Amino acid sequence: MATVTPEMTTGKTSAMDYHSLNAMLNLYGPDGKIQFEKDREAANQYFLQHVNQNTVFFHSLKEKLDYLVENEYYEAEVLDRYSFEFIKSLMKRAYGYKFRFPTFLGAFKYYTSYTLKTFDGKRYLERYEDRVVNVALALAEGDERLAEAFVDEMVNGRFQPATPTFLNAGKKQRGELVSCFLLRIEDNMESIGRSINSALQLSKRGGGVAFNLTNIREYGAPIKQIQNQSSGVIPVMKLFEDSFSYANQLGARQGAGAVYLQAHHPDIMRFLDTKRENADEKIRIKTLSLGVVVPDITFELAKKGEDMYLFSPYDVERVYGVPFSDISVTEKYHEMVDDSRITKTKINAREFFQTLAEIQFESGYPYIMFEDTVNRANPIDGRINMSNLCSEILQVNTPSTYDDDLDYESVGKDISCNLGSMNIALSMDSPDFGKTVETAIRALTAVSDQSHIGSVPSIARGNDMSHAIGLGQMNLHGYLGRERIHYGSEEGLDFTNIYFYTVLFHALRASNLIAREKGETFEGFERSKYASGEFFDKYTEQEWKPATARVQELFDASEIRIPTQDDWRELKALVQEHGIYNQNLQAVPPTGSISYINNSTSSIHPIASKIEIRKEGKLGRVYYPAPFMTNDNLEYFQDAYEIGPEKIIDTYAAATQHVDQGLSLTLFFKDTATTRDINKAQIYAWRKGIKTIYYVRLRQLALEGTEVDGCVSCML
Amino acid sequence: MTRGDETEKEQDMDTQDTQTGSAFDEIAESPVDAEQAREAIEAERDEVEAALGAGKPQTEAQQRQHRHNHLVQAINWNRIEDDKDLEVWNRLVNNFWLPEKVPLSNDVQSWGTLTPEEKTLTMRVFTGLTLLDTIQGTVGAVSLIPDAITPHEEAVYTNIAFMESVHAKSYSSIFSTLSSTKEIDEAFRWSTENPYLQRKAEIIIDYYEGDDPLKRKIASTLLESFLFYSGFYLPMHWSSRAKLTNTADLIRLIIRDEAVHGYYIGYKFQKGFEQLTPERQAEIKDYTYSLLYELYENESKYTADLYDSVGLTEDVKKFLHYNANKALMNLGFEPLFPSTVTDVSPAILSALSPNADENHDFFSGSGSSYVIGKAEATADEDWDF
Repeated sequence: MATVTPEMTTGKTSAMDYHSLNAMLNLYGPDGKIQFEKDREAANQYFLQHVNQNTVFFHSLKEKLDYLVENEYYEAEVLDRYSFEFIKSLMKRAYGYKFRFPTFLGAFKYYTSYTLKTFDGKRYLERYEDRVVNVALALAEGDERLAEAFVDEMVNGRFQPATPTFLNAGKKQRGELVSCFLLRIEDNMESIGRSINSALQLSKRGGGVAFNLTNIREYGAPIKQIQNQSSGVIPVMKLFEDSFSYANQLGARQGAGAVYLQAHHPDIMRFLDTKRENADEKIRIKTLSLGVVVPDITFELAKKGEDMYLFSPYDVERVYGVPFSDISVTEKYHEMVDDSRITKTKINAREFFQTLAEIQFESGYPYIMFEDTVNRANPIDGRINMSNLCSEILQVNTPSTYDDDLDYESVGKDISCNLGSMNIALSMDSPDFGKTVETAIRALTAVSDQSHIGSVPSIARGNDMSHAIGLGQMNLHGYLGRERIHYGSEEGLDFTNIYFYTVLFHALRASNLIAREKGETFEGFERSKYASGEFFDKYTEQEWKPATARVQELFDASEIRIPTQDDWRELKALVQEHGIYNQNLQAVPPTGSISYINNSTSSIHPIASKIEIRKEGKLGRVYYPAPFMTNDNLEYFQDAYEIGPEKIIDTYAAATQHVDQGLSLTLFFKDTATTRDINKAQIYAWRKGIKTIYYVRLRQLALEGTEVDGCVSCML
Repeated sequence: MTRGDETEKEQDMDTQDTQTGSAFDEIAESPVDAEQAREAIEAERDEVEAALGAGKPQTEAQQRQHRHNHLVQAINWNRIEDDKDLEVWNRLVNNFWLPEKVPLSNDVQSWGTLTPEEKTLTMRVFTGLTLLDTIQGTVGAVSLIPDAITPHEEAVYTNIAFMESVHAKSYSSIFSTLSSTKEIDEAFRWSTENPYLQRKAEIIIDYYEGDDPLKRKIASTLLESFLFYSGFYLPMHWSSRAKLTNTADLIRLIIRDEAVHGYYIGYKFQKGFEQLTPERQAEIKDYTYSLLYELYENESKYTADLYDSVGLTEDVKKFLHYNANKALMNLGFEPLFPSTVTDVSPAILSALSPNADENHDFFSGSGSSYVIGKAEATADEDWDF
């Protein structure tokens, strides 16, 4: 019997099945060259041997749509808003672009994880174009011109919605369209209990959840004034770890979560030690991600070689009347040190950074959020005290309070964010760059408008108030390679700067347009730096233009107009008058899966390897060639380990200045690195105005003499 | 270190005939140290040559004497006699891991999709591997210690022995996560009754208990670089088909270790082999190939016994040929099987890469990439901002 899921094909396989062809990508050919053609052949064979045989056939579009609606695969409400003739013309439009997957992994990933399947999981009901059209119809909510624009941007690969949106939109049986949630926890049992419930509810609906543990009283803190009672943050982390592994989105993917803790929380060292290789089972954290919030003062103390004081959140809240996460540690540090009412302990600041680096070596964690950098760059009224699972979401929040029975006494504001990324290379080829950005912003806004997470009221309220979205970017390295520019070179940095500068202009312009159309802004606009006009100073007071001839040439060739100071003055006036609809606009996620189906390099990172080995639960081990790489331009596809942390940080710094939220920045080191190298990179990143650091990755090469002969990913 | 120092050090190293190519900054800082180290190595070598060159087994007394010499020598890691010892030690320490770090329970769903035959096969393969790791941990690596030429080599063997025990325990973690006590007991019963598996163990143990140090190393290298792989094939096969991927991660960690073990023991074999007379060399070489044939013949039957039920035997055999060649290369000998019978499925071969460079998503596993790092304090100039 023919089956769909790859896990069902076992036993003997024919000599050249698509997995083998794909794996040959990782082995040099007899002529010593990378066998790109084998991968294309693998993609081709995948369709011939597997996809085509397992796709349900319909005689007509009408028959197909009727079947899908009747059998509860498609949401009737989505289709009902359009005439059948229009849907048919939209399908024609989509198929007319002749989309083909350029890599095996792209096709394999799409059919394994995204496409609509029969309920028994055995046969496919959609091709790529069908998914795109359905997503476009769902997001456009009856607006035909908008639906066409969505199809154009998506099928041509210029805009790619994040996984939850692309996977779920338009399906009848589905999870949420939103990717990412961030929740506060306050220092009481009701709040902790609610947060566990939220973890379960949000994981069930798919998407990563992050919690801020900073406010929870430390190990040994008093409970009801009795000393040495509290167990601190570790047992709470254990509860989250188990909650996330219990709940998964219809088995589609495991729940995943992160927890953030302020560096000056007394449990900080215990928090980090949960990721030690030899940690006791009782405290070891396997799947939960960790993040540390580091204020400027910690760097200042380390610079002077001094100790850093850790403050009891329990006492801080009593002294200041607000939770620990809502004060600036840098600002209040010396005041708190001198305040005898606040219990404190101390550790050496440099040793803290070294421990941070040691744990990053062993586990890749924790993420780091540079608290003061983030808050200085925040145009919105309020305080940012945490980030999310991928460390690119940076938004303000406010606490909730609860009754004894866990009902809300007052609903605070928690954070959700839906993401989508532009393919830089293809967007540079766009016939209308401004329209591409605007269409992307409209697609993301539609997701926010259509989302209402009733199970977690603080999230629903936050979304209703802020309409926050996160437009990301990917395929920077692919684009630079195609244009024969080295990643992190002067031209590379110049391009990154001007590109992000231009995107920001159009993103704001689009959000302003939506605000005018809807007659509505995000709540709190009047207290933002957009309303005061302060945000625009750096664009109206200073001229931004390419510093190198090559970058000017690229923009000229693409016929993309780089906004001038006058353009900004005009936009500023419009924004001050009408506001903008979205509280947050940009966030650059790490883009795993979607960059494979979109044939991009991840995010604005350099490639991890010329031939990347991708491993995940649903795929097994699959090999992926860097987009636009050929045997002739290999020199522009140096991997991240060769490029080194500095150029990556420089590239991110160039982009960061134009992005209101964060950018997932992974640091790559060779195995000759020590913790000191990691610390140096952190210091450099902090000085360059980087907001967050995501993973630290190390590459250990095989000991000479033990490697597999002729393996591409081993030798390059 | 200044540029001048470096040049001096390099020149000095050129005079060292034991130099193997990788230089460590911490060692042989001054010419005096290196000189002493070389004398020590030569003295040690004379001793070994006396023992080996005669071409006959050591006497009881010689062995006792040999051991005695080591007992009184405190290990000084600042006097490295063979750089390879430190290089491998560091690599092994960096690679330290425990099975608890791999979220094996994420494979429970995937385990449920295997057919009963596939489950039985998987259980048996892992019990077979457990048996080999048990031998290697409690008998094999330990039996190499008395033959060690340097104290650092002894230390490396103790590390190898310990990690082999970690491996043996890891399979138990896999079993207890995926399977029931009854199935586990059944699989262990099978391992004591399977004639080919027992024969394999017997052959290897015989050589470990024999009195020829070089033959012990040959047996050990063949075990580490050849015999394990009929078992390693299966988890790699599953993972290339998106099954049991966390288990495959764990196995890849084991492979990462075994690759270094086989390489190191083979290297130490070559060092001893170089000192032999040509006649004795020929004898040892003959012996190696005949042992390999003996093991190969048994291994083919073992493979057929295991894999016939799922039709993978032919492919596993190619993999055996490939690894037999690898084991021979580790011992410094020419490959035995022609490339026409070593064309392993590329999916398996690529999955084997011991490099730690795969990209995994945080939703499904921990990956097999992270290592324990080298701590180094920051200095004032790092904080100059």
